[in-house]
Amino acid sequence: MPMSAWIMLIFGVVVLYGGLIYCVSKTRRHEKKSPAKDTID
Amino acid sequence: MGRERWHSRAAFVLAAIGSAVGLGNIWRFPYMAYNNGGGAFLIPYFFALLVIGIPVMIIEFGLGSKMQAGPSFALEKVKKGTGWIGWGAVIVSYLLVAYYAIIIAWCWVFLFKSLTVAWAGHEKAFFFKEILQLSKGPTSIGGFSIPVLLGSLITWITIYLIIFKGLGPIGKVAKVTVILPIILLAIIFVRGITLPGSIEGIIFYLQPDFSKLLNASVWISAFGQIFFSLSLGMGVMIAYSSFIPRDSDVNNNSFITCFANCGVSFFAGFAVFTVLGYLSHATGQPFSKVVSSGIGLAFVVFPTAIAKMPVFKSGFGFIFFLTLLSLGINSAFSLVEGFITNLRDVVNMSKEKVSFYVCLGAFLLGLIFTTKAGLYWLDIIDHYVANLGMVTVALVECILVGWFFGVDRFRKMVNETSEIRLGKWFNIVVKYIIPITLITMMVKYYYEEFQKPYGGYPVWSLIIGAGLVISCFVISYFINKRVMEKE
Repeated sequence: MPMSAWIMLIFGVVVLYGGLIYCVSKTRRHEKKSPAKDTID
Repeated sequence: MGRERWHSRAAFVLAAIGSAVGLGNIWRFPYMAYNNGGGAFLIPYFFALLVIGIPVMIIEFGLGSKMQAGPSFALEKVKKGTGWIGWGAVIVSYLLVAYYAIIIAWCWVFLFKSLTVAWAGHEKAFFFKEILQLSKGPTSIGGFSIPVLLGSLITWITIYLIIFKGLGPIGKVAKVTVILPIILLAIIFVRGITLPGSIEGIIFYLQPDFSKLLNASVWISAFGQIFFSLSLGMGVMIAYSSFIPRDSDVNNNSFITCFANCGVSFFAGFAVFTVLGYLSHATGQPFSKVVSSGIGLAFVVFPTAIAKMPVFKSGFGFIFFLTLLSLGINSAFSLVEGFITNLRDVVNMSKEKVSFYVCLGAFLLGLIFTTKAGLYWLDIIDHYVANLGMVTVALVECILVGWFFGVDRFRKMVNETSEIRLGKWFNIVVKYIIPITLITMMVKYYYEEFQKPYGGYPVWSLIIGAGLVISCFVISYFINKRVMEKE
Protein backbone atom coordinates (compact mmCIF):
# COMPACT_ATOMS: atom_id res chain seq x y z
CA MET A 1 0.00 0.00 0.00
CA PRO A 2 1.43 3.44 -0.87
CA MET A 3 2.73 5.65 1.93
CA SER A 4 0.07 8.32 1.27
CA ALA A 5 -2.69 5.72 1.84
CA TRP A 6 -1.04 4.65 5.11
CA ILE A 7 -0.90 8.29 6.23
CA MET A 8 -4.63 8.77 5.55
CA LEU A 9 -5.38 5.51 7.35
CA ILE A 10 -3.48 6.71 10.42
CA PHE A 11 -5.13 10.14 10.16
CA GLY A 12 -8.61 8.58 10.10
CA VAL A 13 -7.88 6.20 12.97
CA VAL A 14 -6.30 8.86 15.19
CA VAL A 15 -8.95 11.51 14.57
CA LEU A 16 -12.11 9.38 14.66
CA TYR A 17 -11.27 6.60 17.10
CA GLY A 18 -8.89 8.80 19.12
CA GLY A 19 -11.68 11.37 19.46
CA LEU A 20 -14.16 8.71 20.48
CA ILE A 21 -11.83 7.13 23.05
CA TYR A 22 -11.00 10.56 24.48
CA CYS A 23 -14.68 11.48 24.91
CA VAL A 24 -15.61 8.11 26.42
CA SER A 25 -12.71 8.28 28.87
CA LYS A 26 -13.84 11.77 29.88
CA THR A 27 -17.29 10.34 30.59
CA ARG A 28 -15.81 7.63 32.79
CA ARG A 29 -13.83 10.19 34.81
CA HIS A 30 -16.94 12.33 35.07
CA GLU A 31 -19.08 9.45 36.27
CA LYS A 32 -16.51 8.46 38.89
CA LYS A 33 -16.68 12.00 40.26
CA SER A 34 -20.50 12.10 40.31
CA PRO A 35 -21.84 8.58 39.79
CA ALA A 36 -25.52 9.41 40.27
CA LYS A 37 -25.63 11.96 37.52
CA ASP A 38 -27.34 11.10 34.24
CA THR A 39 -28.81 7.88 35.51
CA ILE A 40 -32.31 7.36 36.74
CA ASP A 41 -32.43 4.04 38.42
CA MET B 1 -47.14 10.89 35.48
CA GLY B 2 -43.51 11.95 35.04
CA ARG B 3 -41.61 11.86 31.80
CA GLU B 4 -40.28 8.47 30.74
CA ARG B 5 -36.50 8.02 31.28
CA TRP B 6 -33.65 6.05 29.79
CA HIS B 7 -32.35 3.42 32.19
CA SER B 8 -28.83 4.76 31.94
CA ARG B 9 -26.69 7.24 30.10
CA ALA B 10 -25.18 4.38 28.11
CA ALA B 11 -28.65 3.31 26.95
CA PHE B 12 -29.34 6.81 25.68
CA VAL B 13 -25.99 7.21 23.93
CA LEU B 14 -26.24 3.78 22.32
CA ALA B 15 -29.78 4.48 21.14
CA ALA B 16 -28.62 7.81 19.66
CA ILE B 17 -25.67 6.11 17.96
CA GLY B 18 -28.03 3.42 16.69
CA SER B 19 -30.29 6.07 15.22
CA ALA B 20 -27.41 7.87 13.54
CA VAL B 21 -25.67 4.78 12.21
CA GLY B 22 -27.75 3.44 9.36
CA LEU B 23 -27.56 2.03 5.88
CA GLY B 24 -25.88 5.19 4.58
CA ASN B 25 -22.79 4.42 6.66
CA ILE B 26 -22.24 1.30 4.59
CA TRP B 27 -23.52 2.24 1.17
CA ARG B 28 -22.93 5.99 0.95
CA PHE B 29 -19.79 7.03 2.86
CA PRO B 30 -17.25 4.67 1.19
CA TYR B 31 -18.45 5.67 -2.28
CA MET B 32 -18.41 9.37 -1.38
CA ALA B 33 -14.82 9.01 -0.16
CA TYR B 34 -13.77 7.12 -3.30
CA ASN B 35 -15.44 9.68 -5.57
CA ASN B 36 -14.16 12.74 -3.74
CA GLY B 37 -10.44 12.30 -3.38
CA GLY B 38 -10.15 8.94 -1.55
CA GLY B 39 -8.31 9.39 1.74
CA ALA B 40 -8.12 13.14 1.14
CA PHE B 41 -11.92 13.24 1.62
CA LEU B 42 -11.29 12.61 5.32
CA ILE B 43 -10.04 16.21 5.67
CA PRO B 44 -13.28 17.99 4.57
CA TYR B 45 -15.25 15.19 6.25
CA PHE B 46 -13.59 15.82 9.60
CA PHE B 47 -13.92 19.57 9.14
CA ALA B 48 -17.65 19.13 8.40
CA LEU B 49 -17.98 16.94 11.48
CA LEU B 50 -16.58 19.74 13.66
CA VAL B 51 -18.43 22.68 12.14
CA ILE B 52 -21.81 21.18 11.33
CA GLY B 53 -22.26 17.62 12.68
CA ILE B 54 -21.29 18.10 16.31
CA PRO B 55 -22.79 21.62 16.73
CA VAL B 56 -26.20 20.65 15.27
CA MET B 57 -26.15 17.50 17.41
CA ILE B 58 -25.43 19.68 20.49
CA ILE B 59 -28.36 21.93 19.52
CA GLU B 60 -30.73 18.97 19.17
CA PHE B 61 -29.56 17.20 22.35
CA GLY B 62 -29.61 20.56 24.17
CA LEU B 63 -33.16 21.38 23.05
CA GLY B 64 -34.50 17.98 24.09
CA SER B 65 -32.65 17.76 27.37
CA LYS B 66 -33.03 21.33 28.59
CA MET B 67 -36.63 21.83 27.45
CA GLN B 68 -37.69 18.30 28.52
CA ALA B 69 -40.04 18.08 25.58
CA GLY B 70 -40.38 16.52 22.14
CA PRO B 71 -39.45 18.49 19.01
CA SER B 72 -42.55 20.69 18.68
CA PHE B 73 -42.81 21.74 22.34
CA ALA B 74 -39.03 22.20 22.58
CA LEU B 75 -39.04 24.63 19.64
CA GLU B 76 -42.20 26.31 20.93
CA LYS B 77 -40.30 27.01 24.17
CA VAL B 78 -37.44 28.54 22.19
CA LYS B 79 -39.78 30.86 20.28
CA LYS B 80 -43.54 30.91 20.38
CA GLY B 81 -45.26 29.91 17.17
CA THR B 82 -42.37 27.78 15.85
CA GLY B 83 -43.55 24.41 17.18
CA TRP B 84 -44.85 23.54 13.74
CA ILE B 85 -41.25 23.09 12.60
CA GLY B 86 -40.94 20.32 15.19
CA TRP B 87 -44.17 18.74 13.94
CA GLY B 88 -42.84 19.13 10.40
CA ALA B 89 -39.65 17.28 11.37
CA VAL B 90 -41.46 14.30 12.85
CA ILE B 91 -44.13 14.08 10.15
CA VAL B 92 -41.47 14.14 7.42
CA SER B 93 -39.57 11.48 9.40
CA TYR B 94 -42.76 9.43 9.52
CA LEU B 95 -42.95 9.63 5.75
CA LEU B 96 -39.28 8.68 5.62
CA VAL B 97 -39.69 5.62 7.83
CA ALA B 98 -42.63 4.45 5.68
CA TYR B 99 -40.23 3.89 2.79
CA TYR B 100 -37.12 3.16 4.87
CA ALA B 101 -39.00 0.12 6.17
CA ILE B 102 -39.30 -1.08 2.58
CA ILE B 103 -35.51 -1.16 2.22
CA ILE B 104 -35.44 -3.21 5.42
CA ALA B 105 -38.08 -5.44 3.83
CA TRP B 106 -35.70 -6.07 0.90
CA CYS B 107 -33.03 -6.99 3.46
CA TRP B 108 -35.39 -9.56 5.00
CA VAL B 109 -36.01 -11.09 1.57
CA PHE B 110 -32.29 -11.23 0.77
CA LEU B 111 -31.53 -12.61 4.23
CA PHE B 112 -33.80 -15.60 3.60
CA LYS B 113 -32.64 -15.96 0.00
CA SER B 114 -28.99 -15.89 1.09
CA LEU B 115 -29.41 -19.39 2.55
CA THR B 116 -29.38 -20.75 -1.01
CA VAL B 117 -27.61 -17.78 -2.66
CA ALA B 118 -30.70 -17.63 -4.86
CA TRP B 119 -29.43 -14.67 -6.88
CA ALA B 120 -26.26 -16.39 -8.14
CA GLY B 121 -25.65 -15.79 -11.84
CA HIS B 122 -28.51 -13.32 -12.37
CA GLU B 123 -28.05 -10.75 -9.60
CA LYS B 124 -29.53 -7.73 -11.37
CA ALA B 125 -32.57 -9.58 -12.72
CA PHE B 126 -33.05 -11.25 -9.33
CA PHE B 127 -33.38 -7.92 -7.54
CA PHE B 128 -35.29 -5.88 -10.10
CA LYS B 129 -37.43 -8.58 -11.73
CA GLU B 130 -37.92 -11.31 -9.12
CA ILE B 131 -38.00 -9.30 -5.90
CA LEU B 132 -39.19 -5.82 -6.89
CA GLN B 133 -40.96 -6.97 -10.07
CA LEU B 134 -40.22 -3.45 -11.25
CA SER B 135 -42.67 -1.86 -13.69
CA LYS B 136 -41.84 0.53 -16.53
CA GLY B 137 -42.38 3.76 -14.65
CA PRO B 138 -44.03 5.48 -11.68
CA THR B 139 -47.47 5.33 -13.30
CA SER B 140 -47.44 1.56 -13.82
CA ILE B 141 -48.34 0.54 -10.28
CA GLY B 142 -49.19 -3.01 -11.39
CA GLY B 143 -50.12 -4.57 -8.03
CA PHE B 144 -47.98 -5.62 -5.08
CA SER B 145 -44.67 -7.41 -4.99
CA ILE B 146 -45.59 -10.14 -2.51
CA PRO B 147 -42.05 -10.75 -1.14
CA VAL B 148 -41.67 -7.02 -0.44
CA LEU B 149 -45.13 -6.80 1.10
CA LEU B 150 -44.37 -9.70 3.45
CA GLY B 151 -40.98 -8.19 4.28
CA SER B 152 -42.68 -4.91 5.11
CA LEU B 153 -45.15 -6.68 7.40
CA ILE B 154 -42.31 -8.47 9.24
CA THR B 155 -40.46 -5.16 9.57
CA TRP B 156 -43.42 -3.35 11.14
CA ILE B 157 -44.17 -6.20 13.52
CA THR B 158 -40.51 -6.14 14.60
CA ILE B 159 -40.56 -2.35 15.09
CA TYR B 160 -43.79 -2.55 17.08
CA LEU B 161 -42.40 -5.27 19.35
CA ILE B 162 -39.29 -3.16 20.02
CA ILE B 163 -41.05 0.10 20.85
CA PHE B 164 -44.42 -0.70 22.40
CA LYS B 165 -43.10 -1.27 25.94
CA GLY B 166 -41.21 2.01 26.15
CA LEU B 167 -37.62 3.08 26.54
CA GLY B 168 -36.40 0.07 28.57
CA PRO B 169 -36.57 -2.47 25.73
CA ILE B 170 -35.44 0.18 23.21
CA GLY B 171 -32.23 0.74 25.20
CA LYS B 172 -31.65 -3.03 25.42
CA VAL B 173 -32.31 -3.60 21.72
CA ALA B 174 -30.06 -0.65 20.83
CA LYS B 175 -27.18 -2.31 22.70
CA VAL B 176 -27.52 -5.33 20.40
CA THR B 177 -28.26 -3.48 17.17
CA VAL B 178 -25.32 -1.11 17.64
CA ILE B 179 -22.73 -3.69 18.65
CA LEU B 180 -23.90 -6.49 16.30
CA PRO B 181 -23.32 -4.66 12.98
CA ILE B 182 -19.82 -3.65 14.11
CA ILE B 183 -18.96 -7.29 14.87
CA LEU B 184 -20.52 -8.37 11.56
CA LEU B 185 -18.61 -5.67 9.66
CA ALA B 186 -15.42 -6.96 11.28
CA ILE B 187 -16.26 -10.47 10.05
CA ILE B 188 -16.93 -9.11 6.53
CA PHE B 189 -13.63 -7.23 6.64
CA VAL B 190 -11.64 -10.24 7.83
CA ARG B 191 -13.20 -12.41 5.13
CA GLY B 192 -12.75 -9.68 2.54
CA ILE B 193 -9.08 -9.07 3.30
CA THR B 194 -8.27 -12.75 2.74
CA LEU B 195 -9.62 -12.57 -0.82
CA PRO B 196 -7.42 -11.72 -3.81
CA GLY B 197 -7.63 -8.09 -4.95
CA SER B 198 -8.77 -6.81 -1.55
CA ILE B 199 -5.66 -4.68 -0.95
CA GLU B 200 -6.21 -2.93 -4.28
CA GLY B 201 -9.72 -2.13 -3.07
CA ILE B 202 -8.34 -0.55 0.10
CA ILE B 203 -5.82 1.45 -1.91
CA PHE B 204 -8.67 2.84 -4.04
CA TYR B 205 -10.47 3.76 -0.82
CA LEU B 206 -7.55 5.43 0.93
CA GLN B 207 -5.17 6.72 -1.74
CA PRO B 208 -5.51 10.51 -1.43
CA ASP B 209 -5.98 12.86 -4.34
CA PHE B 210 -5.41 16.22 -2.68
CA SER B 211 -6.11 18.16 -5.89
CA LYS B 212 -9.82 17.34 -5.37
CA LEU B 213 -9.83 19.45 -2.21
CA LEU B 214 -9.70 22.54 -4.42
CA ASN B 215 -13.11 21.57 -5.76
CA ALA B 216 -15.99 23.22 -3.83
CA SER B 217 -18.36 20.35 -4.61
CA VAL B 218 -16.12 17.96 -2.63
CA TRP B 219 -16.57 20.13 0.45
CA ILE B 220 -20.33 20.39 -0.10
CA SER B 221 -20.43 16.58 -0.45
CA ALA B 222 -18.60 16.23 2.86
CA PHE B 223 -21.06 18.59 4.58
CA GLY B 224 -23.98 16.69 3.03
CA GLN B 225 -22.56 13.32 4.05
CA ILE B 226 -22.08 14.42 7.66
CA PHE B 227 -25.49 16.07 7.83
CA PHE B 228 -27.52 13.24 6.34
CA SER B 229 -25.72 10.45 8.19
CA LEU B 230 -26.30 11.81 11.69
CA SER B 231 -30.14 11.72 11.71
CA LEU B 232 -30.23 15.50 12.12
CA GLY B 233 -33.27 17.61 11.27
CA MET B 234 -35.60 14.66 11.87
CA GLY B 235 -36.63 15.38 15.43
CA VAL B 236 -35.30 12.01 16.60
CA MET B 237 -32.35 13.39 18.54
CA ILE B 238 -34.55 16.01 20.25
CA ALA B 239 -37.06 13.29 21.15
CA TYR B 240 -34.42 10.87 22.49
CA SER B 241 -32.67 13.54 24.54
CA SER B 242 -35.96 14.71 26.05
CA PHE B 243 -35.85 11.49 28.09
CA ILE B 244 -32.52 12.26 29.77
CA PRO B 245 -32.39 14.48 32.87
CA ARG B 246 -32.02 18.21 32.45
CA ASP B 247 -28.55 18.14 34.03
CA SER B 248 -27.12 15.63 31.56
CA ASP B 249 -23.82 16.16 29.79
CA VAL B 250 -25.12 17.32 26.42
CA ASN B 251 -21.78 18.20 24.84
CA ASN B 252 -19.91 15.01 25.54
CA ASN B 253 -22.90 12.87 24.54
CA SER B 254 -22.97 14.73 21.22
CA PHE B 255 -19.23 14.25 20.64
CA ILE B 256 -19.47 10.51 21.41
CA THR B 257 -22.49 10.01 19.13
CA CYS B 258 -20.87 11.86 16.23
CA PHE B 259 -17.43 10.24 16.55
CA ALA B 260 -18.99 6.77 16.86
CA ASN B 261 -21.15 7.32 13.76
CA CYS B 262 -18.20 8.51 11.67
CA GLY B 263 -15.98 5.76 13.08
CA VAL B 264 -18.47 3.15 11.87
CA SER B 265 -18.57 4.79 8.40
CA PHE B 266 -14.78 4.78 8.16
CA PHE B 267 -14.58 1.15 9.22
CA ALA B 268 -17.43 0.11 6.90
CA GLY B 269 -15.38 1.50 4.02
CA PHE B 270 -12.72 -1.17 4.62
CA ALA B 271 -15.28 -3.97 4.69
CA VAL B 272 -16.97 -2.73 1.50
CA PHE B 273 -13.82 -1.94 -0.48
CA THR B 274 -12.05 -5.23 0.26
CA VAL B 275 -15.05 -7.04 -1.25
CA LEU B 276 -15.24 -4.61 -4.20
CA GLY B 277 -11.50 -5.12 -4.75
CA TYR B 278 -12.12 -8.86 -4.87
CA LEU B 279 -15.03 -8.41 -7.30
CA SER B 280 -12.85 -6.32 -9.61
CA HIS B 281 -10.18 -9.04 -9.44
CA ALA B 282 -12.63 -11.91 -9.96
CA THR B 283 -14.44 -10.35 -12.92
CA GLY B 284 -11.39 -8.73 -14.51
CA GLN B 285 -13.26 -5.43 -14.68
CA PRO B 286 -11.59 -2.15 -13.76
CA PHE B 287 -12.36 -1.00 -10.22
CA SER B 288 -14.27 2.05 -11.47
CA LYS B 289 -16.76 -0.30 -13.17
CA VAL B 290 -17.59 -2.33 -10.06
CA VAL B 291 -17.73 0.47 -7.51
CA SER B 292 -21.20 1.81 -6.73
CA SER B 293 -23.32 3.13 -3.90
CA GLY B 294 -26.81 2.93 -2.47
CA ILE B 295 -29.28 0.27 -3.43
CA GLY B 296 -27.13 -0.88 -6.37
CA LEU B 297 -24.20 -1.61 -4.06
CA ALA B 298 -26.23 -3.49 -1.46
CA PHE B 299 -28.60 -5.48 -3.64
CA VAL B 300 -26.71 -6.00 -6.90
CA VAL B 301 -22.96 -5.49 -6.56
CA PHE B 302 -22.50 -7.16 -3.16
CA PRO B 303 -24.67 -10.17 -4.08
CA THR B 304 -22.55 -10.51 -7.25
CA ALA B 305 -19.37 -10.55 -5.17
CA ILE B 306 -20.92 -13.03 -2.73
CA ALA B 307 -21.91 -15.36 -5.58
CA LYS B 308 -18.34 -15.30 -6.88
CA MET B 309 -16.75 -16.24 -3.57
CA PRO B 310 -14.93 -19.56 -3.50
CA VAL B 311 -16.45 -20.83 -0.21
CA PHE B 312 -18.79 -19.72 2.59
CA LYS B 313 -21.11 -17.92 0.13
CA SER B 314 -24.40 -18.32 1.94
CA GLY B 315 -22.86 -17.60 5.34
CA PHE B 316 -21.26 -14.44 4.01
CA GLY B 317 -24.52 -13.37 2.36
CA PHE B 318 -26.41 -14.00 5.57
CA ILE B 319 -23.90 -11.94 7.58
CA PHE B 320 -24.00 -9.08 5.10
CA PHE B 321 -27.79 -8.79 5.02
CA LEU B 322 -28.03 -9.28 8.77
CA THR B 323 -25.66 -6.28 9.07
CA LEU B 324 -27.91 -4.17 6.85
CA LEU B 325 -30.98 -5.36 8.70
CA SER B 326 -29.66 -4.49 12.15
CA LEU B 327 -28.44 -1.08 10.96
CA GLY B 328 -31.77 -0.36 9.28
CA ILE B 329 -34.04 -1.52 12.10
CA ASN B 330 -32.16 0.65 14.59
CA SER B 331 -32.66 3.81 12.57
CA ALA B 332 -36.25 2.90 11.71
CA PHE B 333 -37.51 2.47 15.25
CA SER B 334 -35.79 5.67 16.32
CA LEU B 335 -37.74 7.57 13.64
CA VAL B 336 -40.99 6.03 14.84
CA GLU B 337 -40.09 6.84 18.43
CA GLY B 338 -39.47 10.48 17.48
CA PHE B 339 -42.96 10.71 16.00
CA ILE B 340 -44.53 8.94 18.99
CA THR B 341 -42.74 11.22 21.47
CA ASN B 342 -44.21 14.30 19.83
CA LEU B 343 -47.63 12.69 19.64
CA ARG B 344 -47.66 11.64 23.28
CA ASP B 345 -46.83 15.18 24.36
CA VAL B 346 -50.34 16.10 23.20
CA VAL B 347 -52.36 12.87 23.13
CA ASN B 348 -53.17 11.10 26.36
CA MET B 349 -52.93 7.51 25.19
CA SER B 350 -50.92 4.48 26.34
CA LYS B 351 -47.63 3.73 24.63
CA GLU B 352 -48.96 0.37 23.43
CA LYS B 353 -51.94 1.92 21.68
CA VAL B 354 -50.04 4.83 20.13
CA SER B 355 -47.31 2.46 18.94
CA PHE B 356 -49.87 0.15 17.37
CA TYR B 357 -51.68 2.91 15.47
CA VAL B 358 -48.44 4.59 14.39
CA CYS B 359 -46.92 1.32 13.11
CA LEU B 360 -50.16 0.33 11.37
CA GLY B 361 -50.40 3.78 9.77
CA ALA B 362 -46.81 3.64 8.53
CA PHE B 363 -47.33 0.14 7.14
CA LEU B 364 -50.41 1.33 5.22
CA LEU B 365 -48.61 4.50 4.08
CA GLY B 366 -45.74 2.35 2.84
CA LEU B 367 -47.98 0.13 0.74
CA ILE B 368 -47.33 2.30 -2.32
CA PHE B 369 -43.64 1.37 -2.04
CA THR B 370 -44.43 -2.34 -2.03
CA THR B 371 -46.05 -2.08 -5.45
CA LYS B 372 -44.22 -2.78 -8.70
CA ALA B 373 -43.63 0.95 -9.11
CA GLY B 374 -42.48 1.22 -5.48
CA LEU B 375 -38.81 1.81 -6.24
CA TYR B 376 -39.59 4.86 -8.39
CA TRP B 377 -41.75 6.45 -5.71
CA LEU B 378 -39.23 5.59 -3.02
CA ASP B 379 -36.48 7.31 -5.00
CA ILE B 380 -38.58 10.41 -5.74
CA ILE B 381 -39.87 10.93 -2.20
CA ASP B 382 -36.48 10.19 -0.61
CA HIS B 383 -34.96 12.90 -2.79
CA TYR B 384 -37.34 15.53 -1.43
CA VAL B 385 -37.46 14.32 2.16
CA ALA B 386 -33.69 14.74 2.47
CA ASN B 387 -33.20 17.93 0.53
CA LEU B 388 -36.40 19.79 1.35
CA GLY B 389 -37.37 18.39 4.73
CA MET B 390 -34.32 17.70 6.85
CA VAL B 391 -32.17 20.59 5.68
CA THR B 392 -35.00 23.09 6.27
CA VAL B 393 -35.64 21.82 9.80
CA ALA B 394 -31.96 21.96 10.79
CA LEU B 395 -31.61 25.43 9.28
CA VAL B 396 -34.58 26.75 11.26
CA GLU B 397 -33.29 25.11 14.46
CA CYS B 398 -29.94 26.86 14.08
CA ILE B 399 -31.52 30.23 13.30
CA LEU B 400 -33.88 29.91 16.28
CA VAL B 401 -31.10 29.02 18.71
CA GLY B 402 -28.53 31.36 17.17
CA TRP B 403 -30.65 34.45 16.61
CA PHE B 404 -33.75 34.20 18.78
CA PHE B 405 -32.99 32.13 21.87
CA GLY B 406 -29.47 33.55 22.05
CA VAL B 407 -26.49 31.35 21.27
CA ASP B 408 -24.57 32.66 24.31
CA ARG B 409 -27.48 31.73 26.55
CA PHE B 410 -27.71 28.29 24.95
CA ARG B 411 -23.95 27.74 25.22
CA LYS B 412 -23.92 28.68 28.90
CA MET B 413 -26.89 26.41 29.51
CA VAL B 414 -25.24 23.32 28.01
CA ASN B 415 -21.78 24.16 29.38
CA GLU B 416 -23.10 24.24 32.95
CA THR B 417 -23.63 20.48 32.97
CA SER B 418 -20.96 19.34 30.52
CA GLU B 419 -17.39 18.14 30.89
CA ILE B 420 -16.42 19.50 27.49
CA ARG B 421 -16.96 23.26 27.46
CA LEU B 422 -17.90 25.00 24.25
CA GLY B 423 -15.91 28.12 23.43
CA LYS B 424 -16.98 31.21 21.51
CA TRP B 425 -16.32 29.33 18.28
CA PHE B 426 -19.71 27.71 18.83
CA ASN B 427 -21.43 31.11 18.52
CA ILE B 428 -19.83 31.80 15.14
CA VAL B 429 -20.57 28.31 13.88
CA VAL B 430 -24.25 28.35 14.90
CA LYS B 431 -25.00 31.94 13.87
CA TYR B 432 -23.13 32.07 10.59
CA ILE B 433 -21.31 28.98 9.35
CA ILE B 434 -24.11 26.38 9.65
CA PRO B 435 -26.86 28.60 8.16
CA ILE B 436 -24.57 29.64 5.29
CA THR B 437 -23.55 26.01 4.67
CA LEU B 438 -27.12 24.70 4.74
CA ILE B 439 -28.33 27.54 2.51
CA THR B 440 -25.46 26.77 0.08
CA MET B 441 -26.51 23.11 0.04
CA MET B 442 -30.11 24.15 -0.68
CA VAL B 443 -29.12 26.60 -3.42
CA LYS B 444 -26.96 23.93 -5.08
CA TYR B 445 -29.87 21.52 -4.85
CA TYR B 446 -32.43 23.97 -6.32
CA TYR B 447 -30.01 24.96 -9.06
CA GLU B 448 -29.52 21.33 -10.09
CA GLU B 449 -33.25 20.65 -9.74
CA PHE B 450 -34.20 23.42 -12.15
CA GLN B 451 -31.38 22.56 -14.57
CA LYS B 452 -32.52 18.99 -15.01
CA PRO B 453 -35.49 17.12 -13.46
CA TYR B 454 -34.26 14.63 -10.86
CA GLY B 455 -33.58 11.10 -12.11
CA GLY B 456 -35.26 11.72 -15.48
CA TYR B 457 -38.68 11.22 -13.89
CA PRO B 458 -41.77 12.96 -15.34
CA VAL B 459 -42.16 16.46 -13.90
CA TRP B 460 -45.64 15.73 -12.52
CA SER B 461 -44.25 12.87 -10.40
CA LEU B 462 -41.59 15.19 -9.00
CA ILE B 463 -44.27 17.76 -8.19
CA ILE B 464 -46.13 15.06 -6.23
CA GLY B 465 -42.93 14.15 -4.35
CA ALA B 466 -42.09 17.75 -3.47
CA GLY B 467 -45.75 18.53 -2.76
CA LEU B 468 -45.96 15.64 -0.31
CA VAL B 469 -43.04 16.97 1.73
CA ILE B 470 -44.31 20.57 1.60
CA SER B 471 -47.79 19.41 2.63
CA CYS B 472 -46.20 17.76 5.72
CA PHE B 473 -45.17 21.23 6.85
CA VAL B 474 -48.58 22.75 6.00
CA ILE B 475 -50.32 20.02 8.04
CA SER B 476 -47.78 20.64 10.83
CA TYR B 477 -48.71 24.30 10.95
CA PHE B 478 -52.40 23.55 11.49
CA ILE B 479 -51.73 20.77 14.01
CA ASN B 480 -49.47 23.03 16.03
CA LYS B 481 -51.96 25.89 15.90
CA ARG B 482 -54.71 23.61 17.21
CA VAL B 483 -52.48 22.17 19.94
CA MET B 484 -51.34 25.60 21.11
CA GLU B 485 -54.92 26.88 21.21
CA LYS B 486 -55.83 23.97 23.50
CA GLU B 487 -52.78 24.62 25.70
